[in-house]
Amino acid sequence: MNTRLLLLTYFFLSQTFAFSQTIISGRILDEKGKALPGANVFIKGSFDGTSSDASGAFSFESSESGDQLLVVSMMGFKSQEFPITLSQSKIEIPSIKLIEEFNEMNTVTISAGAMEASDEKKSVILRPIDIVTTPSAMGDIVGAFQTLPGTSTVGNDGRLFVRGGDASEVGIYIEGMRVGNAYGTTAGNVPTRTRFNPNLFKGTFFSTGGYSAEYGQALSSTLALNTKDLAKRSQGDLSIMSVGGGYSHTLANEKRSISISGNIFDLKPYQALIKQNFDWERAPFGRDIELAAQQKTSKGGLWKVLARTESGGMQLWQPQPGMPDRGLLIDLKNTYSYAQTNWRKGFENGWSLFGGISFSQNKDILNLGGLDLERKNQLSHAKWTAGYDFSDRLAVKNGVEYFRNDYSEVLTQESLERSIGENQGFLFTEWDWYLSRKLVLRSGLRAGISSLADEKWLDPRTSLAYKISKNGTLSFATGRFHQLPEERFRVLAPNLKNTESRHLILNYLYQKDGKTFRAEAFHKSYDHLVRFEGIHQNPRNVRNEGDGFARGFDVFFRDRESLKNTDYWITYSFVDSKRSYFQYIGQVQPDFAPKHNLSVVVKHFVPSLKSQLGLSWSFNDGLAYTDPNLTGEMNSKTGTFQNLSLSWSYLPRPNLIIHGALTNVTGHQNIFGYQYAQNPNEQGRFESLPLGQGAPRFLFLGIFFTISKDKNANNLNNL
Amino acid sequence: MKKSLFTLAMAFAFVFAAFANDPAYENAMKKQISSMNTIQSSEQSQTVANGFIRIAEAKSEEWLPLYYAAYIKATAAFRFEVNKDQYFDQAMELVNKAEKIAPNNSEITALKGFVIMGKLSVDPMSRGQEMSPLAMQIFGKAIALDKENPRATTLMAQMELGMSQFFGSGPEKACGLARVGLELFAKEEAKVDDNYLLPTWGKREAEQVANACK
Repeated sequence: MNTRLLLLTYFFLSQTFAFSQTIISGRILDEKGKALPGANVFIKGSFDGTSSDASGAFSFESSESGDQLLVVSMMGFKSQEFPITLSQSKIEIPSIKLIEEFNEMNTVTISAGAMEASDEKKSVILRPIDIVTTPSAMGDIVGAFQTLPGTSTVGNDGRLFVRGGDASEVGIYIEGMRVGNAYGTTAGNVPTRTRFNPNLFKGTFFSTGGYSAEYGQALSSTLALNTKDLAKRSQGDLSIMSVGGGYSHTLANEKRSISISGNIFDLKPYQALIKQNFDWERAPFGRDIELAAQQKTSKGGLWKVLARTESGGMQLWQPQPGMPDRGLLIDLKNTYSYAQTNWRKGFENGWSLFGGISFSQNKDILNLGGLDLERKNQLSHAKWTAGYDFSDRLAVKNGVEYFRNDYSEVLTQESLERSIGENQGFLFTEWDWYLSRKLVLRSGLRAGISSLADEKWLDPRTSLAYKISKNGTLSFATGRFHQLPEERFRVLAPNLKNTESRHLILNYLYQKDGKTFRAEAFHKSYDHLVRFEGIHQNPRNVRNEGDGFARGFDVFFRDRESLKNTDYWITYSFVDSKRSYFQYIGQVQPDFAPKHNLSVVVKHFVPSLKSQLGLSWSFNDGLAYTDPNLTGEMNSKTGTFQNLSLSWSYLPRPNLIIHGALTNVTGHQNIFGYQYAQNPNEQGRFESLPLGQGAPRFLFLGIFFTISKDKNANNLNNL
Repeated sequence: MKKSLFTLAMAFAFVFAAFANDPAYENAMKKQISSMNTIQSSEQSQTVANGFIRIAEAKSEEWLPLYYAAYIKATAAFRFEVNKDQYFDQAMELVNKAEKIAPNNSEITALKGFVIMGKLSVDPMSRGQEMSPLAMQIFGKAIALDKENPRATTLMAQMELGMSQFFGSGPEKACGLARVGLELFAKEEAKVDDNYLLPTWGKREAEQVANACK
C-alpha cells in the first residue's frame, strides 16, 4: 500500500515536473540593434541555458520553477540579469540589448605626440627589440629614437633633440621617476650616449609634445622608460666586444628575481687599430655595476629596485682655431650613481597605487687646459600616484611629487665655489573620459612650486582623439609646459624663472595588419627662454628674455607585412624653428634644428643564414651656424648630414649571438659647424676649424653568450 | 593507532568529498565534452564554450568547466578566422579565473602556456623575445607540478621543436619530450572511462612532434 502510494505520488510529481518545463525564448541585439550571435543566456544557478544563434535568437527549456534570474552574458559585454517567473509553459522575452564594455582593444587611443614601444599595446610605433636592432643606434636607447618622427640627429652631440627644442627640453624618466644626468658626461663635439642599457626595459613611451600632466619640467618632450618585471629564469650573460666586455648574472624564481651586472669599456685598443680624427691623449673608458631586483608582493603588487654606479673618463686635445699646436687638453673624469625603488599595485575595486623614490648623483672633475673645475649635481625625486576607475568610461589619476636638487661648481685652484639648492613640489590630476568608444577626452592640470625661483605655476593640458574609420584615428593635443633653466644658468642667476612653451598638435594615425602610417602637424611657441651675453662657456647677464617658435610636420610609415621577413620604416620631419635664445640677438634658427630630416631603417631576416641584416640611413639638410666673417647671425649652413649604417646579427646557436655593425659606411664627411677664433687674424678674418666626426666610421663587433639551464636562452637584448 | 585511524577516516572523508558527485554536473560536463569534440566552426566553438561557462556559473567551485571554455577559445583562435588576439585574451581571462579556484594545478598551468604560445604565434617577430621564454617557463612549471601530465610535456616538446627549427639545431630534445609525452598519454588512456571528465587532448600534437623526428 505504502509503496503504491509512493509510486503514485512519484507519478504525479514527475507529471508536475514535466508540466513545469518552461520554454524561454527571445532575441539578443547589440547597441545598434543588430543581431548578436554567441551570447550566453541561462537561468542563474542552474545548468539550463543556451547561446543566441546567427539571428540573435535564443530558445531553451528550463525545469526550474518560480522566481528566477535570467542572465545574458558575453565576454567583452556587460552582463544583464532579468527577474522572471517560471509559471507558464512559454515565456517570450522582449529583445535584449547588450552593451559592449570599453576596453583597450575596442576604444580609441590618443596618439597625438605619443609614440609607444611595447609588446602588448595596440598602438605601437617602435618595439623594444627595435632599440637593439637599429644599426645606427649602436645599442643606445636614444639612438633608436632618433629614427622616429619629430627628432633630429645632431651627430656631434648624441642626445635627443625634439622639434626645434634643445636637448635639455627632453625629460627622461625611468618608471615614472625623473633621471638626473641621464647622458654620460662628455667633452665638446664628442657625442654622448644614454647611461642605461636597453636590456633593462620592457617598454618605452616617447612623446614629442602635448603629453600628460603626469610629466613636467620638460618644454618639448618626455621619454618614459619602463623596467622589466620579474626575470623569467636564472642565467648568466657574457659579452665580449671590440670596445669592452661584461657579465650579468640573474637569479629568479616565481616570487622574486635579481640581476647583477658589471661592464667595462675602453676604446684604447680599438683606437690603436683604427685611425682617429680626434687627438686623443686617453681614449674614453669606463666601468659600471648595476643591480635590478623585482619582487611580487601580496595580491598582485610589484616592488622593484634599480641601482647603478659608474665611473669613467677621457683626455682629449682640442685644437683651437689660429693656433698651430695641439690646442687645449681636456681631461674629464666622471662618477655617477643612480638608485630608485618603486611599488605598484592594482586593486580589483578600481584603485591603482604607485609610490617611488629615486636619487641620482653626478660628479665631473674637469681640467680644461689647466683650469680645474669640479661639478656636482644631485637630484632626489619622490612620487605618489593614485588612480581610480569610476567606470569603463571615466578614470582619474592624481599624483603628488617632490624634488630636491643640489648643484655646485668649484674652481679648485682658486677655491671658488658657487652652488644652488632647490625644492620643487607638484600636484597633478588627469581625467580620461570616453564619451563613446570612438571619442575620448583627456584633461589634466599640473601645479608646481619652486623654492629657488620663488614661483608658482599651473599647466593645463588637454587632448582629444576621434576614431574616424576602422583603422584611422584623428587626435588633437594642446597644453602649456614649464621648465626651469638648466642648473649651469641657475647657479649664475638663482632668480631665473620658468621658461614656457605651448603646444598645438594635430595627428592622424592609420594602423592595419602590420602597417602603420602616421602624420602629425604641430605648432609650438616659446616664451621666457634663457638669454645671455658673451660666449657659451662664459655667459653673462643671464635672464629670461628669449622667445621663439617651432612649427612643422612629420610623416612616418612602417610596414612589417608586405615583404617577407622584412620590416622597414621611413620617417620625414620638417621643422621650421626660430628663437632668440642663449647668445642669439634676434630670432634665428638654432644650431641644433635642421629643417629637413629623413631616416630609413630596414631589417631583413635571412633564415638560411640564421641572420638578421640591418640598414639605417639618416639624412638632414645641415645645421645653421654663425660665420663672424659675414654679417648677421646664423648666416650659414653646414653641408648635409648623412649616415648609412649596416649591421649583421648572426645566431648560430640559440644561446650565442655574434653582432657586427658599421656606421657611416660611405665615409660621408659630416661637418656639424665651425669653431671660430675669438679674435680676427692679421688679415681681419676670423679663422675657423670645422667640427667634424671623431672618425669617418665606427665598427662594432661583439659576441654574446648566455649560460643557463635552458639552452634556448640568449641575450639578444644586450646587443 | 588512533591517530592513523583518524588519518584513514580523514582520507576517506576526503575521498568521499572528492567523489561527492553531482550527477547533474557530471552529465552536463559529459554532454559539453562530447560536443566539444565535434566543433567545426567558430560559431560552434562559441556555443560549446558558452555551455561550459554556464556550468562554471552554476558550479563556481569547479575549475574544469572554465578550463574547457578557455581551451575552446584558444583552439578556436588557432583553427578559425577570428580576431586571434581577442580570443587568446578571452582564453587567458578564463584561465586566470580557473587558476583562482585551483592554484598550482598542472593542467591549468599547461593551458596557460598554451594560450601564451598562441599570443606569441600572432606576432612572433616582436613577441618571441618576451613570450617564448615565458611559455617555456610555464611549461616547465606545469611539468614540475605533475610529471605525469602528458600535455605539459607535449607542449614543451612543441616549443622545443619550434626553437630547433628556427635555429636549425637538432630536434633531439623535442623528440625525447614527445616520446615521453606519448608514453604518458598511453598511461592516461588506461585510466579513461565513460565518467572521465579531466582533459585528455594533446595526443595528436605529441604524434606530430614525434613524426618530425623520423
